[in-house]
Amino acid sequence: MPQDVQTSPDAMASLGVLEKATLQYEVEQFLYHEAALLDDRRFAEWFALIADDIHYWMPIRRTVTVDNLDREFTTADGMAYFDDDKADLGMRVEKLQAPSAWAENPPSRTRHLVANVRLLEVKGAEVALEAAIHVFRSRLNDKIDHWIGKRRDRLRRIDGGFQIFERHIFLDQTVVLSTNFSSLF
Amino acid sequence: MLDHDRHGDSTGIDADAAIVPDLAGGLIDRSIYSDPRIYELELRRIFARAWNFMCHESQIANAGDYFINYIGEDQVVVVRGEDGAVRVLLNTCRHRGNALCRAELGNTKTFVCSYHGWTYGLDGTLIGVPGKANFYRDAIDQAKWGLVQAAKVDHYKGFYFATLDPLAPSLFDYLGDVGRTGMESMLTQGEVVALDGVQKNVIDCNWKIAVDNLFDWYHVRISHNSASRVGFLDQRLMMPMSQMVMLGELGHAIGGPMVSVEKQAQLDALSDEERRALDQLPDAERAKQAPIERRPLRSTAARAAMGPLGVRAMGHPNIFPNLWISTRGMQLSLRLPRGPGRTEIWWFTVLPKSFTEQQRRKARKFVTHAFGPAGLLEQDDGENWSQSTQSSRGVASRRYAHNMQMAMGQDEVLVDPSGQKAIETRVNEHAQRWTYRCWGEWLRARDWPDLLANRSPVPVGRI
Repeated sequence: MPQDVQTSPDAMASLGVLEKATLQYEVEQFLYHEAALLDDRRFAEWFALIADDIHYWMPIRRTVTVDNLDREFTTADGMAYFDDDKADLGMRVEKLQAPSAWAENPPSRTRHLVANVRLLEVKGAEVALEAAIHVFRSRLNDKIDHWIGKRRDRLRRIDGGFQIFERHIFLDQTVVLSTNFSSLF
Repeated sequence: MLDHDRHGDSTGIDADAAIVPDLAGGLIDRSIYSDPRIYELELRRIFARAWNFMCHESQIANAGDYFINYIGEDQVVVVRGEDGAVRVLLNTCRHRGNALCRAELGNTKTFVCSYHGWTYGLDGTLIGVPGKANFYRDAIDQAKWGLVQAAKVDHYKGFYFATLDPLAPSLFDYLGDVGRTGMESMLTQGEVVALDGVQKNVIDCNWKIAVDNLFDWYHVRISHNSASRVGFLDQRLMMPMSQMVMLGELGHAIGGPMVSVEKQAQLDALSDEERRALDQLPDAERAKQAPIERRPLRSTAARAAMGPLGVRAMGHPNIFPNLWISTRGMQLSLRLPRGPGRTEIWWFTVLPKSFTEQQRRKARKFVTHAFGPAGLLEQDDGENWSQSTQSSRGVASRRYAHNMQMAMGQDEVLVDPSGQKAIETRVNEHAQRWTYRCWGEWLRARDWPDLLANRSPVPVGRI
C-alpha cells in the first residue's frame, strides 16, 4: 500500500484522550454529513466543502504478485482514474447537474458508507485520516455497483467545520467492473 | 499454432451455422450484436487471425518484464526474454491448462504453474517438471511441452502486435497505408514512452458497438453535450463540419476532423521549433496564433511519414479489428470481447519522450479527463452502447436493422497523386459501413489466402 502518511500510533501522542475523542467525533460527523450531501445530490453544498488546493486522486490498481507489490498502484507521474484539482472537480459537479449528462439522467442512487475512521495525524489546523468506504450505486432498474476501498483524506479546520484539501481513493478492485465512474467518492 | 478452423472444437456453439448477414445498403442486422454463433465465428475468424495489439515496448523494457493481454478470449503473456526478444505465450499450462501468470504485469525469471509446478522459461521452454524421474519415469519429452507461442510477433516502431495465424501477412503489410498512417499519428513528435497504468473497465455491450463509435462524430454534440457545457471541450471542436475519411485494406480506417489544404500550407511554412512553441502556448493564445485548431501541430517529418492526405486527417484511426487511436495520438484503446454482450475497454497512454515535465503534466491531465470510466467524455458513452446491445436481444426489436446510411452514395473517394485515397466531406458514416463490410468478409473467408483473394479493394469514386 502507498505509505504517504505517517501511520504510527505516536502521530497523535500530543493529544489527550478527551481531545482525541472530541476530534474523532467532529471528523466522523463531518464525513457522514459530506456523504449524505453526495447521496442526496446536494452537489453544490458538497462542493463548498472542497478546499481550493484540493487534490482528488484515484490511482490505477493492478493485480500483481507478492514480489511485485511495489507496482500495485500507479504513482503521481502515472495514469489514474481521477486526478483532479478544484477546477476539474467543479466541472464534474456542474456536469452532474446538467440534464444532458446522460450517465446521470435518470440519476443513480448512491449510498456512501464511511467506516473504520482512524485519525492519523494532527498538525495545526490540519487532520489526516484514513477511512474504509463502501459506495453502493443502483442505476436504472438492474445495474448495481459496489465500490469498496480506502480513502486517505486531509481536512483543514475552517470556521465552524472542515474543508477537504486532499482525497486519495484506493479501490479494492483492479479491472473496474462498472460502465463508468459518474459518481463522486 | 492451433488453427481453430481446422481443429475439432467443442464449445457447443456451431459457428459454422452462423448466418453472416449482408450489411450492404447500410442496414445493420442486429443479430451481429447478440448471436452467440456469430460471436464464436468472430473469435475464430477475426481475433485468432488478425494482428492484435499487445503493448508498447516501454511497458516491457527489461528482461523478465511481462504484460498480460488477450487475443480474443485467449489470455496471453507478452514477455521480454533474457535474449531481449519479445514473445507472446498463451497463458495456459500444457499439463492441465491452469493459468501460469495471474498478475496483470510484473517481472519474473520463470513462470511456475501453481497446480503441479511445471516451470517454463521466459522463452516458453518447459524447463522443470517435478517428479520427472520418479513419477513420469522420465517418459516425457519436455521439448514437446513448451508453452504455445503466437505464430508471429512484430512491432511497428515500438508498438507490439501478435497473431495466432501463421498464414497472416507481415505486420507492415497487414497495416497497409492507412493502418501505418494511423500508427504514425502517435509519432508525430518523435519517439514515445508509455505512461505507467492502463485504465480498464467493463461495459455490457457488444465489442463492435464500442468500435464503430470511434468514427461517429454525429453523437458527439448529443452524447457529450454536458462535457462541452461545463467547458471541457469546445463544441466547435467536438463536431467539426469538415471531415476526412480514409478507408484502408482489411478494414482499417481513419475518420474525423480534417485540416484544409490552405491551413496545411500555412503549417508547412513553419519550422518544427515554431510548431513546438505554438503548441506550448496557453489555449486561448494558441487559438489566435496557430493555423490548426487541434493539437498537436504535426512535425515536418510527419508529412513524409503520414503522406500528404494522411497528415491532414485528424480523426480517429482504427486498426482492425479493435484498436482505437485517439485524435491527439496519445492514447490507444482496445475493445476486448468478453462474450457477445460484454466488452472490456482498455486505455493505454503514450507521450513523446521529448515532452518537458510541464507538457507531460498537461497531457496527462487532458487524457485522464477525457477518456477512461471517469472521463468527462466517456462517462456518457457506456450506457448508450449497452442499451443498444440489449435491444438486439428482443425478438421484435431485432427484426429491425440499424440505419447506417448517412451520406451513403453521396461522396467521392478521391485519389491523390501520391496514391493515398480519401473522402473529404461532412459528418458521415462511411468508415462505419466500411468496417462492417470488411467484418463480413473476414467472417466469410475460410482462411488468410481466401480473405486476401476475396476481400474488397479500397473503394475509389462514388461511395
